[in-house]
Amino acid sequence: MSRLELDGLTRRYGPVTALDQLSFSVTSGQVTGFLGPNGAGKTTAMRAVFGLTALDAGTVRWNDRPVTLADRRRFGYLPEERGLYPGMLVAEQLEYLGRLHGLSPAAATTAATGWLERLGIADRATSKVESLSLGNQQRVQLASALVHNPDLLVLDEPLSGLDPEGIDAVGEVLASHARAGKCVLFSSHQLDLVEDLCESVVIIDRGRVVTSGTVEDLATRGLPRLVVRVAGDRDGAWARGLAGVRVSENDGGALRLVLSGPTDPQSVLRTAFAAGLVTEFAVQRRRLSEVFREAVTHRAGQRQDVTLRAGVHQ
Amino acid sequence: MSGIVPIVIAIGAIFFVIYRLRRQAGGSGARPRPVRGGLLVPPPGAGQPALRLLPLPGDTGLVAAREFRVRARGRVFRVGTLLVLLIVSGAIVIPALLGHKPTVERVGVAGALSAPVRAALVADGPGIGVTVTLVPEPSGQAATADLRAGRIDLAVVDGSRVVTDKPTAASDTSQGAQLTRAVSRTVGTAEALQAARLTPAQAAAIAGARPLPLSSLQPGGPGTTQRNTSYVGLLLLFFMLTQYNAWTLTGVLEEKSSRIAEVLLAALPPARLLAGKVLGIGLTAFLQAGLAVAVAVSEVRATHSDVLNGLTPLTVAATLSWLILGYAFYAWVYAAAGSTADRQEQAQSLLIPLGLPVIFGFFVASTAAISGNASALVHVLAYLPPTAPFAMPVLVSLGAAAWWQFALSAAISVVCTAGLARLATAVYSASILRTGSRVSLRELMSR
Repeated sequence: MSRLELDGLTRRYGPVTALDQLSFSVTSGQVTGFLGPNGAGKTTAMRAVFGLTALDAGTVRWNDRPVTLADRRRFGYLPEERGLYPGMLVAEQLEYLGRLHGLSPAAATTAATGWLERLGIADRATSKVESLSLGNQQRVQLASALVHNPDLLVLDEPLSGLDPEGIDAVGEVLASHARAGKCVLFSSHQLDLVEDLCESVVIIDRGRVVTSGTVEDLATRGLPRLVVRVAGDRDGAWARGLAGVRVSENDGGALRLVLSGPTDPQSVLRTAFAAGLVTEFAVQRRRLSEVFREAVTHRAGQRQDVTLRAGVHQ
Repeated sequence: MSGIVPIVIAIGAIFFVIYRLRRQAGGSGARPRPVRGGLLVPPPGAGQPALRLLPLPGDTGLVAAREFRVRARGRVFRVGTLLVLLIVSGAIVIPALLGHKPTVERVGVAGALSAPVRAALVADGPGIGVTVTLVPEPSGQAATADLRAGRIDLAVVDGSRVVTDKPTAASDTSQGAQLTRAVSRTVGTAEALQAARLTPAQAAAIAGARPLPLSSLQPGGPGTTQRNTSYVGLLLLFFMLTQYNAWTLTGVLEEKSSRIAEVLLAALPPARLLAGKVLGIGLTAFLQAGLAVAVAVSEVRATHSDVLNGLTPLTVAATLSWLILGYAFYAWVYAAAGSTADRQEQAQSLLIPLGLPVIFGFFVASTAAISGNASALVHVLAYLPPTAPFAMPVLVSLGAAAWWQFALSAAISVVCTAGLARLATAVYSASILRTGSRVSLRELMSR
């Protein structure tokens, strides 16, 4: 059982505080999502794990000891802005990175070939990276972080720019790496996109942890949510005036309702029946974006106008 | 060639010092490293470190090996090598081809000229290294016309005037100018002898007078071939320092802007990454220089050139050692500069000011190499690390540097290089660790 621990990380860039006493830990055997809006400090925190950020305060620990270079050799890192030599051959690049992380020449070759096959780009092994399509470049990038079978895998926005198929493929790789007993931490600003990919999440905002826990726990905690559709009422007029109910979104007549404490789902259903034919009724889990919004609102009190960039494709 | 031994020892000592510094720069932590990648020599078993010729910390070796492999198979390297080989071959083959046929100087003679004077004119040739052919001219006008047309090189008119097409400057040391002066002296003497009314035998004896052979306490100055070697060496130094330093700069910049530096620095310290890069590119440069020397030697053998006589081997050795010293010195400067830039477009604006000391050193040293005379400025520049790579080999080729002077200059350069390596690593780390914000000098000094 290994464990990465970020303890009180603080980093200021002039007047801007990128990390503000940031503390959380990542345990092996599960995929941990590191979530938050753009500019929350995710990249800075991940760079700090690799000693790429000069910290004003705080420590990064690996298995309860400050991270050393030897530890980092056993880590894998996928930076947000992809780092590969454009003019180098794909296989050669993977072997080189494998060897820098301590693999023998033979092991590096085997690992590079294995990953290229697994990601379906074995036929491009002797191509230059710059000649690959963007999707394939990202596959090579992923392979470069995994080639030495790292004990800790840190990926900064691995899903950005991927199609749904690509997202599934990355998710599968991360899950199997975690299941092999490794630590996996990946960041995303698209909170709802990653719900299915990770078992636990750490959500941060403005350099501080907003909330953390297992996805299961966070999603079932909090106020109940209903999705109700009344035929013919695309504007959701029937729900206006319902006490203790807030309409959080309207998807073409399917209303997502957030019920405050004492309000009973049954009474909502009765009102819907009275208004017309109910074609859809479901009790739903909390989304991670909602978890974030509620946590931030709860923490900041007056910060009702949180504009969450989560889920917005750039 | 007793002077060569101390210099060889000095060069060996320099290599040893550089190797020690590299090891230190590579960071010799007490922690055992899992990777050990030999660069040229396979890593031996534990407990026999003395056998390793190039014992580098494994990852520095890996970085250097990658750099070497990628660079050496690139197009720039192939074209550059071709260019270097052409320059070297040209410098050896062309003089060798020209050297076998001595120049013929045609001297037009208009009007009467006595037989002893004619013989004296022809005898002026060998001393200057030319063959004199006398061309009879019907008149002074015909001689002038032939001069204009280039059919003759100079004319003696009526035994009283020497005419050339172009004026002869006092400082002109070409064979033509030397002959012109000799001819005017010979004819003038003949005229004076005639005026003195000596007997023909006396006149012939005096006309046949030749200057006494000169000897000096100091050894002789450089010959033409040697000066050529020295100049070609400078040209190659200039070309290679410019080329490989630019590679260092753009290479560091490429890694920074493509963010691969972050992936690499997650696994190895900046000093080792930088040292590997400098070493790998340096090895590529040395491969090119080695090829040039090998081709040169085989061409010298094939053409029976006299290039390898005298001080020339020493000049070649000095040029090669200063290629290493100069590259090592500049590489850190260029690497640090490259890390402060953010985009490839900024590389150009950095390369120009950084190239100024190289251009200055090359210019001053080539002037000395061509004239065969080292000014006081060259003697000063020979001890300053930025210009020493050019000035010191020229001093060696002119026989104007003692072995201890060479060693002193090399030592100054090595010490400065070690200091620069530290500074460059600090600049590099700071630039990478704080992307976006420029690093101020004060911040660096306080590190």
